[in-house]
Amino acid sequence: MTDRPAEIHEKRILGTELLWAFGVGVLVAATLSVIVFTALSRDINPPSNVERSDPKTLHLSGEFAEHNLGTTVGPDGRVTVRIIATQFMFVPRCIAVPRGREVTLRFASPDVVHGLLITGTNVNTMVVPGFVAQVHTEFTRGEDLLMPCHEYCGLGHSEMWATVQVMPDDQFKPGPDGRVSCAQR
Amino acid sequence: MAHTSESESHALDQPWRIWASVAIFGIVLSGVVLGVVIIPVVQGRSDGIDAYTAICRALGILPGSPARQQVTDRTPPAPVSQVVWTPDLLQILANAKPERGRAKAQEVCVACHGEQGVSAAPEYPHLAGQSGAAIYKQLNDYRTGSRTHQLMTDIAKALDEPTLADVAAYYAAQPKRNLNLKTLAESPPAIVHLVELGDPSRNIPPCAACHRPGSGGPIEAPILAEQGQEYIVRQLKLYASGERRNDVYGRMRTIAAKLTPGEIDGLAAYYRAGFR
Amino acid sequence: MRNVERLCLAHFWVAFAAFLVACFLGAWQMWVRSPWGANVGTPGQYFMSVTAHGVSMAYVLTTFFIMGFGYFVAVTSLGRPLPGKVWAWVAFWMAIVGVVMVLVPIIMGQASVLFTFYPPLTASPWFYIGLVLVVVGSWVWCVLMLVAMREWKRENPGQPVPLAMFATVANAVMWLWTTVGVAAELLFQVIPASLGIVQTIDAGLARTLFSWTLHAIVYFWLIPAYIAFYTLVPRAAGGRLYSDTMGRLTFILFLIFSLPVGMHHLMMDPQHGNGWKFIQVLLTVFVSVPTLLTVFTITASLEIAGRLRGGRGVFGWIAKLPWERPAVLATGLAFVMLGFGGFGGLINNGYGMNAMIHNTSWVTAHFHLIFGGSVVVMYFAIAYEIWPRLTGREHASPAPLRWQLWLWFIGMMVMTLPWHWLGLQGQWRRVANFNYDDPIIAAWGPWVLVSLFGGLVLLASALLFVRNLAVLHRSPLPVTQRPLYALAVHPPHRVPAALNGFGLWNVLVLVLMLLAYGYPIAQFVIEPSPAAMVHRLH
Repeated sequence: MTDRPAEIHEKRILGTELLWAFGVGVLVAATLSVIVFTALSRDINPPSNVERSDPKTLHLSGEFAEHNLGTTVGPDGRVTVRIIATQFMFVPRCIAVPRGREVTLRFASPDVVHGLLITGTNVNTMVVPGFVAQVHTEFTRGEDLLMPCHEYCGLGHSEMWATVQVMPDDQFKPGPDGRVSCAQR
Repeated sequence: MAHTSESESHALDQPWRIWASVAIFGIVLSGVVLGVVIIPVVQGRSDGIDAYTAICRALGILPGSPARQQVTDRTPPAPVSQVVWTPDLLQILANAKPERGRAKAQEVCVACHGEQGVSAAPEYPHLAGQSGAAIYKQLNDYRTGSRTHQLMTDIAKALDEPTLADVAAYYAAQPKRNLNLKTLAESPPAIVHLVELGDPSRNIPPCAACHRPGSGGPIEAPILAEQGQEYIVRQLKLYASGERRNDVYGRMRTIAAKLTPGEIDGLAAYYRAGFR
Repeated sequence: MRNVERLCLAHFWVAFAAFLVACFLGAWQMWVRSPWGANVGTPGQYFMSVTAHGVSMAYVLTTFFIMGFGYFVAVTSLGRPLPGKVWAWVAFWMAIVGVVMVLVPIIMGQASVLFTFYPPLTASPWFYIGLVLVVVGSWVWCVLMLVAMREWKRENPGQPVPLAMFATVANAVMWLWTTVGVAAELLFQVIPASLGIVQTIDAGLARTLFSWTLHAIVYFWLIPAYIAFYTLVPRAAGGRLYSDTMGRLTFILFLIFSLPVGMHHLMMDPQHGNGWKFIQVLLTVFVSVPTLLTVFTITASLEIAGRLRGGRGVFGWIAKLPWERPAVLATGLAFVMLGFGGFGGLINNGYGMNAMIHNTSWVTAHFHLIFGGSVVVMYFAIAYEIWPRLTGREHASPAPLRWQLWLWFIGMMVMTLPWHWLGLQGQWRRVANFNYDDPIIAAWGPWVLVSLFGGLVLLASALLFVRNLAVLHRSPLPVTQRPLYALAVHPPHRVPAALNGFGLWNVLVLVLMLLAYGYPIAQFVIEPSPAAMVHRLH
């Protein structure tokens, strides 16, 4: 680089810019490759269920009626958890999930937008009234986890959270109806 | 001269138009090919989902993830309350006739609930200035059996739906008494705390977050200001034991079960004193 | 220049007044969330404050500042009076009325819906109508910018539009595109709901329309900072702009790639399919390109300045830069914060990693650092640079200006870095009151206090900033005449129409928006989502 700016040849400027742009392109490609690779090799997706459901009649429905909420093990062994997010609590307040098995979590809201995450896991989703939110995941650590509501849902938002109990196989025992409840602690 | 500079500028501009369009289309095309075709189809293979379904799910045309079988559920419905808040219902409540409600109330309601909605006996709730939606829901729940009471069940069953709305509108229009039996400073701080701040450690939201008018909470949340003390205590205990179960998704059952008897008494006294 | 001083100063003072009030609110919010302020203040007060803070910082500070700066650039870079100045004043007063209409319901507790609205929660209709007025005022500004450029081009056929104006108009064009989303959401959904005309709202559609605006708006805020990088800072440093063409390209890339990427704010939402999210994720990665190109070009421009002052060796020029000048110092600080904030942005974009941090304090940290940090520190630099020209007086000393910039940088880093860490641990957002009895939350307490300390430093910096500008109005020193805008190493004589106007780019933006947002919005018309009942907060 010379002392006098006008002596830097225009072609040289263009050359350095193109070189840098090439480096930027490599970074862009690398970033996208990571996303594509994890999508293809580990089925990593954002939670995108696009399943419409009327929030006004949710409490009348079969799937999200009060008695059907919580963890159920189906006849095929699939674990499904159904949770309602409402002002200002999750129902049920404590959720039992198995460790080391695939779990499908389904959420619905009868009123406003809520959201949740489960600490230390990749479970993170919005719950938008009108849609059923769904997350497929596997819990790898056997401990109690916090599941707060993380989207502003009104004046009681700060007190809205649930607990997730991750149980090893010997404790995760479904009842005759296939339901599993939290252990009393 | 002008002609030359026009073709000059055309020569200068053309490559930009071409390359910009190529770049944009290329970027979008790669996004579509990757995101709508390649990724969903490859993911679908891991759980036996055909390519067409996987692509439809990626587009959001079908529900479910392209990578996992979708869950089905055939549980029969079992609602705890039949009331469904729809615009039609709100329209019915808005068009209800308080005058007709007054006539019916004279016949049926005033003996217990009073003409102005101030009940004589402590076991019957005051209805003056109560939310019309709240009154309607309770009457409807009595009618359908979601809530039971030795007197109210038969009374509600004898009324038809439009009358429920009229009665609700009548009592909702009755003014509150503006009691102010106490000042806020005289209320126990722990109770005021519960009303305004709740208790995050017990998952208890502030009572005001639902029960104060204009709080944006559930539509059926009743106004508690100036409600009878004994009535509030009784209802909270019924919720705590699960005997009253017409609160949708157990909102009140869950909260009431976590309140101490002292808190139940304190909250009832707080609202009786006329605080919002 | 005599043409627009009062107009610019009016806009700036409104912006900075809102900014100062919002800083006080922010500090209070941080205290209430910390262990020291636990159980002080009700949720009603907290969310009222968050709404006021967000609206002031995101809508008032920004819009008024950008309008004022745009009028200044239009007059000084083009060397001609502002066309339609009467309309500029009409727009200003309309926006002021709008601001009042927004603030009153907030203060009355009837608009605690935060600056992102969250339907089905609805506020008083005055709140939304006030915001519409502010936006309409900004649309008038957009038209005036376009008219100013067009008239200049007519008077100077074949000449390249000065870069500062080209960038300002790029921003105006982008803003017109950006506001379509929120305008549609407010006019067709939220305002009818808040007026009681309808009782339900399609939450999926409302969120999608808002996402259209939500990402592009941050680039609307950011472009003036980049205008400063390209057109003010090289001159302030005593150097030249490395490449004028790169500058034009940068602003064009922002125009194209800021808009069709909003869905990454809906990454965790259930109402859109993976494919659409992936397309917008891919486009989002490209919006990092203009920033990365800018970092190179501006660094090279500063290198020229450093070497002209005698810098030798690979890095020797850095020390030789005139860091005592506020514009240069601000650029250095902005670049550091841009590094951290930009890295955070790349993390947010990968949805696997987004799942770790969505709606946690990480997000709060990210946008405070990148907007409150990199962008606002350049707003300070711009204000310091052009205030003398607006008031005709010079700063008595640059020392308090430098102090203020350093305080802002230190406060922002101290406030936001712990927030990033807390977000990774799962601390979630919009909480009025944390339960510090819980051991997990108690462990976060010390970091929250560190953040609070950073916030207090920021408040001190904000006060110093307003003081620095206020005293300038009474400074005894007359303004020293010196050139404002940087020259490029090779000033352009002829640029293609593509780099001198927006015809081609508008077409491409339209194509991109149709492809990226076409079906995601159309799906709500083809098959409306079951609507949710409105929850009124008024």
